[in-house]
Amino acid sequence: MELVEKIFETRELNVNMGPQHPATHGVLRLVLDIDGETIVKVTPYVGYLHRGIEKLGESMSYFQALPLTDRMDYVSAMANNIGYCIAVERLFGIEVPERAKFIRTIVGEMARIANHLLWLATHALDIGAMTVFLYCFREREWILELFEMICGARLTVTYPRIGGVKNDVPAEFLDSLWKFTEEFPTRIPEYETLIDQNRIWLKRTKGIGVISAEEAVNWGLTGPTLRGSGVPYDIRKHMPYDAYDKVDFEVPIGTEGDTYDRYRCRMMEMRQSNNIIRQCIEKLPPGPIMAETPNFTLQPKDKMMPITHPTKEHAFYIIEKACKGCGMCLRACPAKAIFGEKKQPHKIKQDLCLGCATCYVTCKFKALTIVPGGKGFPEEKLAELAVPPDKVPEDIKKAQEYLVKHFEFIKRGPKVPQGDIYIATEVPKGELGFYFISDGSGKPYRMRVRAPSFVHAGVLPRLCVGHLVADVIANIGTIDIVLGECDR
Amino acid sequence: MKTKETIRKIVKTIFFIEIIKGLALTLKRLFSHAVTIQYPVERRKIAPGFRGQHALAKDVEGKAKCVGCGLCATICPSQCISVGREKGKVSRYEIDTLRCIFCGFCVEACPYGAIVLTENYEYSGYKKEDIYLTREKLLFNWDKFMAGKKGEEYFKRFWRPMSEDFETPSIQAIWRGRH
Repeated sequence: MELVEKIFETRELNVNMGPQHPATHGVLRLVLDIDGETIVKVTPYVGYLHRGIEKLGESMSYFQALPLTDRMDYVSAMANNIGYCIAVERLFGIEVPERAKFIRTIVGEMARIANHLLWLATHALDIGAMTVFLYCFREREWILELFEMICGARLTVTYPRIGGVKNDVPAEFLDSLWKFTEEFPTRIPEYETLIDQNRIWLKRTKGIGVISAEEAVNWGLTGPTLRGSGVPYDIRKHMPYDAYDKVDFEVPIGTEGDTYDRYRCRMMEMRQSNNIIRQCIEKLPPGPIMAETPNFTLQPKDKMMPITHPTKEHAFYIIEKACKGCGMCLRACPAKAIFGEKKQPHKIKQDLCLGCATCYVTCKFKALTIVPGGKGFPEEKLAELAVPPDKVPEDIKKAQEYLVKHFEFIKRGPKVPQGDIYIATEVPKGELGFYFISDGSGKPYRMRVRAPSFVHAGVLPRLCVGHLVADVIANIGTIDIVLGECDR
Repeated sequence: MKTKETIRKIVKTIFFIEIIKGLALTLKRLFSHAVTIQYPVERRKIAPGFRGQHALAKDVEGKAKCVGCGLCATICPSQCISVGREKGKVSRYEIDTLRCIFCGFCVEACPYGAIVLTENYEYSGYKKEDIYLTREKLLFNWDKFMAGKKGEEYFKRFWRPMSEDFETPSIQAIWRGRH
């Protein structure tokens, strides 16, 4: 007998799952130790999609780094953008106009619906229900088309801006969105008809990946993954941002803390999001969509010089008396049209001048001036016409001031106060936090992202151990991870 | 009461009620319109302001608006734009489309309204050079996709921010009630 046990002794098998696996939602690699069909140990390996977004953010200005956040959680890019913008706004004390807040809430909730639809589609597909996949993408397509209507992109939207949003929403958008909110509640029961009572779905989800409320909190779970265990924690309720304090909504919670409860939570959340959108559309106030903060937002284009007074018609001229020969304009000129020795008055070669006004922007000694309508005039005539920059006509002076600010904002970066802040927002996946340290330069000294997917990927060993191999797939689906956000 | 529940449960289990319901939904869908688009034959209607391939704008006289100040190259997060000047003219303006992330910041940064993103999204090629945009290609794109009223409307609607974004404009979309 002993001999038989020795020969037929079960050995743990070491299996690699991923990183190229269609059901791991990206490039997650799991090393499974399995005893027959039962999981003994799971070790997740992350980092296959690491692009260094946090470090990249430190080499870009606050304005520039916004598209990076699109590429974190690409399934709900809009929510990521909003989280980033809110963190920067709170850091520098920017007050966003009411209308922009409502628009952000609308698009944020649209992103939540789009995200949950994709989650449901892929989760059901992984477990084996393919039909739901097709139905979910039908509605998701509608939302993506609405995104395209307001910002010109479907997935990587880059729609919110620091201090507001990029575009105002057109009336057709509101009409189309209202139609969506009327139709969407009739579509949710369709998905539920397909899987809610389905015996295969119940067998695959009930009692799988159970985690108690206390344990879920200890593991740092957030979002629907936490609420499935019965903890009513929602940042939209507890620390309202944007317009969430002006709308009524409930936070759906589960009881058992298993895969099925988390599925129910997300389904209820879609209904709540739909409600929030409807309330926001009705309450959408008229008003500005951008905050007036010259240090953080771009200048209005129609007040800026090339539009009010086309620079190509004017000539730029250096007043000899005022020029100290510092060489700032010489170095800044993109066309290399400025000549001169150090500490000697410089000269502009008029036939080389592009008329871009970079030199005017850089000069600190009021030596560079503008001669209205002076393009093509000879040097002597320009010297005759030139007046110090503070004596040029008022409207040109004002338009130029705007241009100067615009150039300074882009070329040198904004002047910002020092400080640090951690701001969390409720993205569809959970709590997305941004931590910034500002050292006063135009770029963040440190940008740190608390990605919910990363924390959720850590709980996989706890959820999977003791279950069968097939349940690993259900567990990856239920925690709703996107590896773009996990690895950053 | 309890027996009724049990009977119902047994009936459900034996007759696959919930699965029949699901199949009925699929059957119902069979008679409705298809939502898919047969791509090369049919094409989606692209929303105005779509962020596709780039173009360099021309003014009324047909000259390029770009003066070569290089703001677009400075703000570009993926650093895919390079500008060269010679003798007071823009001699080189190149966009490496393979690097571009289509965020549209170049459009917002340009104070001259010289660069736009067109609605063209079909520009695949066999070689890198095919999709590398030079100044000539960019100006050609303007004539092909944006010339005339379309370009004017683009700047009116999508070249932001304008001063009306900082104030309350007279015409603004608000909820008009149910239709």
